[in-house]
Amino acid sequence: MISLRRKKNKEGSLTSQGGGPSLLGLGLSLPPLLIVLVFVGLPILIGLTFSLGFTTGPNRVIAIIGQQIHKKNHWWGTLSAYNDVIHDSRFLGDLGLTIFVTVLSTTLVLLLALSIALYQRLIGGRKAAVLVTLSIVPLFVPVVISAWAIHTFYGGDGFMKTFFTHFGVDFPTLTSTPSAIVIGTVWTSLPFAILMISSGLQAIPDALIESAKDCGASVFRVIANILVPLAKTPIIIAASFTSIGILGSFTIPLFLGPNQPTMLGVEISNFFGAYNRPQQSLVMAFIVFAIASGIAVLYVRSNIKSARESGRL
Amino acid sequence: MTQEGNDMGLELKGLKKILGGRVIIDDLHLSVAPGEMISLLGPSGCGKTTTLRMIAGFLAVDAGQIFVAGEDVTALGPDKRPSAMVFQNYALWPHMSVSKNVAYPLKIKGLSKPEIAEKVDAALALVNLLHHKDSRPGQISGGEQQRVALARALVQEPNILLLDEPLSNLDAKLREKVREDIRQLQRRLGITTVIVTHDQEEALSISDRVAVMNNGRIEQFSTPHELYNAPATEYVATFIGSLNRFEGDLVSGLIQPGAHVTGIRPEDLTLSMQAFEGSHPGVVELIIPRGHFYEVVVKRSDATFRIFASENIPAVGANVHVGIKKSLRYLNGKLVA
Amino acid sequence: MAKFFKSINLSRIGINLFIALLAVFILGPLVWLGVHAFAADWHYPNLYPSGLTMRWWSKVFLDSALATAIKNSLIISPIVVIISMFICLPAAYAAGRMNFFGRKAFMITLFSANSFPKIGLFAAIATLYYALNLMGTFVGVVIIQLLGTIIYMTWIPAAAFAAVPKNLEEAARDAGASKFTVFRTITLRLAMPGILVAIVMSFLASFDEAQGTYLVGAPAIFTMPTEMYSLVQNYPIQVAAVFSILLAIPSVLLLGLARKHIMGGQLAEGFQLK
Repeated sequence: MISLRRKKNKEGSLTSQGGGPSLLGLGLSLPPLLIVLVFVGLPILIGLTFSLGFTTGPNRVIAIIGQQIHKKNHWWGTLSAYNDVIHDSRFLGDLGLTIFVTVLSTTLVLLLALSIALYQRLIGGRKAAVLVTLSIVPLFVPVVISAWAIHTFYGGDGFMKTFFTHFGVDFPTLTSTPSAIVIGTVWTSLPFAILMISSGLQAIPDALIESAKDCGASVFRVIANILVPLAKTPIIIAASFTSIGILGSFTIPLFLGPNQPTMLGVEISNFFGAYNRPQQSLVMAFIVFAIASGIAVLYVRSNIKSARESGRL
Repeated sequence: MTQEGNDMGLELKGLKKILGGRVIIDDLHLSVAPGEMISLLGPSGCGKTTTLRMIAGFLAVDAGQIFVAGEDVTALGPDKRPSAMVFQNYALWPHMSVSKNVAYPLKIKGLSKPEIAEKVDAALALVNLLHHKDSRPGQISGGEQQRVALARALVQEPNILLLDEPLSNLDAKLREKVREDIRQLQRRLGITTVIVTHDQEEALSISDRVAVMNNGRIEQFSTPHELYNAPATEYVATFIGSLNRFEGDLVSGLIQPGAHVTGIRPEDLTLSMQAFEGSHPGVVELIIPRGHFYEVVVKRSDATFRIFASENIPAVGANVHVGIKKSLRYLNGKLVA
Repeated sequence: MAKFFKSINLSRIGINLFIALLAVFILGPLVWLGVHAFAADWHYPNLYPSGLTMRWWSKVFLDSALATAIKNSLIISPIVVIISMFICLPAAYAAGRMNFFGRKAFMITLFSANSFPKIGLFAAIATLYYALNLMGTFVGVVIIQLLGTIIYMTWIPAAAFAAVPKNLEEAARDAGASKFTVFRTITLRLAMPGILVAIVMSFLASFDEAQGTYLVGAPAIFTMPTEMYSLVQNYPIQVAAVFSILLAIPSVLLLGLARKHIMGGQLAEGFQLK
């Protein structure tokens, strides 16, 4: 069997360490862990208690400033704020749009990335290099600029509309519609997906493809039975990071989306700032987090499974 | 497992391949009888792997034709050719179990499930791997992976079996055993087989005939015996086995200046402490133990010889007598009768 | 093999069309915005502006608020990256080379911290920031931006450290190098491409961070991206275009430096959880 080269290195370095200096490793990993625990974990925990109606202690100030604050009526708190949110038709519209955009954009990104990466793997050449390079360009552009550039490009006086007017075609104004959000998220998410999937496919040795061809497999079968299964882990990583990123996106829907409904990232910000309803804002954040965690579990499981299959666990 | 009644094996007619502006293969002809096992033997870069990949269909030919069982397959892709290949690194798919690997070509052919299961079991039984059916390629040894690759090729019931350096990834001990296994299996199934190898011992011991390749051409295509005893070209003579090579002719047992090149195998020289008919005196310069025999270097007045001897080994500096039993004569690189 | 697939795959016309469409999709918005930076007046539905000018550039450079934002960005981001390196690189080495208890949990913790919606985190962090008096402070902004760099600065170098073959280090030890020399001359050198990619990605994460910086920094501290928010509302499109070009320069420069390694798989390798 031809194993994927990089994995071998990894295996060698990890197993040869054996038990290793366990305490030193733990010690070295403490600084980033502490930062994350204090500035991510702690706020989330405090936020969780606040969303459950704990309005004293660290939550005292925000509970005084905010509106429509629910106070706990059980020892464990109250679900009133959650109740508010899930019965809010506005939230339901936002949630629908968020899930719609996340699913559609992730699908489009994966299809696009997969077809470009497959073209690169199977045919290669200059055209493939051009395609990959083009797909990487958004990585070079700060999100704020991307959002604004796409806004002007598809806007009411943007290029698409201008260009097609000269051919007598009325191109729709996409800015401030869900379509523009999808365009924006696909645009910004493409580089990561391409890098993941292309590197996964490149790591598959030629012989594994040739042996399938030798067995009579068509191009379609080579893709479906050999390439995609062997690149499964990078594909799932691309899918989970892309969807988690889109799920919590803020700048793109803020610049490109409609006012109502909007994606939850924007609505969380609106509820926190403009509407001064911090408790409901946090509830929405936890709902988004719950969905993201579901995706994250898929990611972790796929990684562990692939590690086990290649004999690393 | 081969198909019945193919009266022709493999035929290569005037193959040509240019890669990167360089002629890799030029006007290559080869005719393999059905059920025959042949080797393409040569140093790296001689074009043997290129030839194999053209037979398999991974490389398009720039000129010439390939016939399998009398049928022109030149225009067909590897998926449509009646050949099956065992890759150098076996190329087993790591995400499929052993039996899934072997079943794959049958699945593509659209065979029914019970039919596939039956054939896969038969193929795995053939290579003694039924007990590893559900293992992943990563969980079995190199020798076992090799047998899975062989089973995956055989299950396709190909007209031609192609083996690319099949033993190169195995350790020395295992290599001999696997070599015998492959040979026996091939004999039993009567399947036309082409092996690519750079190892002459492997080629000579396993094949019915060996094609020695050099610079994209076949220097000689004959039985191992003929190859060794009557190498058609100087290149073959030096490539196969050991050779004392002299510029000059052999005249009454002495190397004399002349137009030919004279080649003498080290075992075709007789070494003795006493003079004998046709012998000439010399002095032992060096003795190299080579396991079950010795290589003795003797300097005579006409030339220095390497001689293989297994008994009555003289000491360095001893006066000895060397006689020539048999020699090969080449003119412009070609054997002169 | 390439030839084989070519004969039955997408026709040449199809692939050329695909390249053209992707080029319009990716580059179109950037070119359109970029051209605006030099356009005098541009009215729909004209395909060309009424003239070219450098007026908007001087406007940006002379505007003190915009200049301050540029200065802030160029100060804050390098500081964030350097702090991130100090905090994360030792951890990355540990995660890549040592099989310590809780290693996997450590990696997953960083990952799940990253999957909490940023905007929700920034909303939640306000409480803590008020308590620690970090609101509207330089340190507060640095910490907010630091959070987004941790996953890059830990994961990518960890994979790079893990990929350094053990026998190369052993050969150096064998040649008489001390442990530290081996680390400096072999391990670190071979892991450098991965670290470089991590530095670039961290710099961009910090430099581009807008949501958190706005929430924590405004109105005291504005960086280039947060300035963009108000810019697009209060200035003509041309000013935003100029600002966009300025904002994109560091990214393009840095990514140009690390492009080879990013496309060579260093980034992708970093995200495989092992």
